[in-house]
Amino acid sequence: MGKTILEVVNLKKHFVQRRGLFSALRGQARVIPAVDDVSFYLKEHETLGLVGESGSGKTTVGKTILRLVPATSGRILFGGKDITNVSAQEFLSLRKEMQMIFQDLDAALNPKMRIRSILKEAIRVHHNIIGGQVDRKIGELLEQVNLKESKLTNFPHELSGGEKRRVGIARALAVGARFLVADEPTSALDVSIQAQVINLLKGLQKNLGLSYLFISHDLRIVELVSHKVAVMYLGKIVEMGLANRIAEAPRHPYTHVLWSSLVEKESREASGTSSGGASADWGVFDFERPYGGCRFAPRCPVYQARGRPEICINPSTEPELHDIGEAHKVACHFPL
Amino acid sequence: MSSVPILEIENLRTYFYAKSKQAFIRAVDGVDLQISRGETLGLVGESGSGKSITALSIMGLITAEPGVISGKIEFKTDGIQTNLLQDLENYAQVKGRDGQVMEVRKDCAGWQKHVERVMEKIRGKEISMIFQNPRSSLNPFIPIGKQVTEALLLNSGIKTRREAKAQALYWLEQVKIDSPRLRFDSYPYGLSGGMCQRAMIAMALASEPSLLIADEPTTGLDATIQSKIVGLLQELKWTFNVTTMLISHDIEIIKRLSDSAAVMYGGTVMEYGSVRDVLVVDLESKHPYTAALLASIPSERHIKEKAYLQSIEGDVLDTINTPEGCRFYARCNRVTDGIREKCQYHEPDLREISPGHYLRCWLYFD
Repeated sequence: MGKTILEVVNLKKHFVQRRGLFSALRGQARVIPAVDDVSFYLKEHETLGLVGESGSGKTTVGKTILRLVPATSGRILFGGKDITNVSAQEFLSLRKEMQMIFQDLDAALNPKMRIRSILKEAIRVHHNIIGGQVDRKIGELLEQVNLKESKLTNFPHELSGGEKRRVGIARALAVGARFLVADEPTSALDVSIQAQVINLLKGLQKNLGLSYLFISHDLRIVELVSHKVAVMYLGKIVEMGLANRIAEAPRHPYTHVLWSSLVEKESREASGTSSGGASADWGVFDFERPYGGCRFAPRCPVYQARGRPEICINPSTEPELHDIGEAHKVACHFPL
Repeated sequence: MSSVPILEIENLRTYFYAKSKQAFIRAVDGVDLQISRGETLGLVGESGSGKSITALSIMGLITAEPGVISGKIEFKTDGIQTNLLQDLENYAQVKGRDGQVMEVRKDCAGWQKHVERVMEKIRGKEISMIFQNPRSSLNPFIPIGKQVTEALLLNSGIKTRREAKAQALYWLEQVKIDSPRLRFDSYPYGLSGGMCQRAMIAMALASEPSLLIADEPTTGLDATIQSKIVGLLQELKWTFNVTTMLISHDIEIIKRLSDSAAVMYGGTVMEYGSVRDVLVVDLESKHPYTAALLASIPSERHIKEKAYLQSIEGDVLDTINTPEGCRFYARCNRVTDGIREKCQYHEPDLREISPGHYLRCWLYFD
């Protein structure tokens, strides 16, 4: 087993929303706990998959780790060093070791810069090299991400989705990162292109020894690329463990619902009997809801089946993430 | 296909003129399709393969000024039988050489007027469409209930507002929006993506169209919501037996909802037939493109062994300089020496290789 590259301890990120002028004057504000007490660690050369529905706080976790948004409380340790509160000056040298592949590359790549300038800028910011060396470095990067050299003179809008994705990855590699936060790297891509990008990320991990925090809502892809998987629900990790265990033997009711809602699996089951079990009333979820106890209880099939036990909705007994053996953790009073 | 076709597309070509490149982008380049009554046809293909443009051409929503639409779209129901593209050539002058379009002069105003005249009785009434992004297709300033009511007043026989409102509530219920009375006055921003999509579906079905076109109805939704919407579409299909053209790049969804499927590449149909023939049976009897597409989906084996996925090498087809021969030639991994020359210089036609199963590949022709 490798060394731990990243450790996150009790990380919290609460966004504060003020409602109008008067309540602001009275000092009333609504707090949205986007990330609420999240802890995990990531070893070198490994991939941690982060899954959950939109709004569950996956992206916020990624951004908080890279300090793109400041954390409310908790600690982030990178390579054994606490980076939660280091000065911006000091953090700059760490930035080149950790980078992000953004979800929306139309927004993340400057539309007025050619690909060459985009890559050059990334190299120049963190490395003190000039002229020919920069060009050589760009050549290396293109080879690593398998992009044609002729594309260097193009503008981002002239590239296809897969090519833009490659530029995004090349830019993250340009600074020499060894830890990448990949935020939905395959969303909105066709299956054929998705396969190319996934293979590229896997290849880079093997050759350069990268570690990924892989954020996605595509469960099949997460299962494929990750060593470990963490499932988030409303800002909390509800289950964490080895990828194949989470997929095959989920213990938290939410994970179970999530995995069984895979269209593919359903279509397979549909041929036999209709699977109506997991289709409980699946309304919109609501951050403003004053929750007590387990956050998943209002939508939980187990909670319903057990006759709405008191322990699930009692605010003083919110389930904690506890170990159930073989590095598998689950936050539920009645694991499946 | 034994039953009556409701829509027959023959040799549809939709080109756009790119000023900066002084050339035509051949978005749809010779599509042949047909949909029988009560059937669901799935249209699969990578982005840029012309799926959506085919749909927009049917709806008469191609407005880009310098473009060409040619071919035949025959729409047949009990009351109506028209070629939607009839007489369009009166408004455009096309100069061609060797089958290549060189120049187009178009009477845009006349063209637009003509399209509106033809589509007036059809769009929203006989053919309705569910668009890709529900949030941006709904009017953000109008409550969803009112939008459905409006669609009903415009597109169905209902004349009074009260009757339309009752009908709108009925349809909101049909698409499983919970407490429809409550949601009736909600604005799109207050609803989740899945809810908005349901409202869109209600609006499209409310006029009881003969043909429904669903363009990527589940893209951009969460996995849990996605399977809900797919389930809803399946249920509606059984209840109302709507003829549907389903466009998606997600093969699993097509597999689950469609009866027949067409695989598109570079603006044309590469393979067409029943879902079983096209998307399910072993990879050997398929078009190499379909086979490659299916192989790039992560399978159980890939996930178990954490294996590399199979990807299709090369780039998406250049729709400006389409190659002389087979469109897929440059990326094809099944070209044999015997047919290489044909593949490179002669485009194969769409041929029936077994009953109801059409392919565009030299590999299967004698």
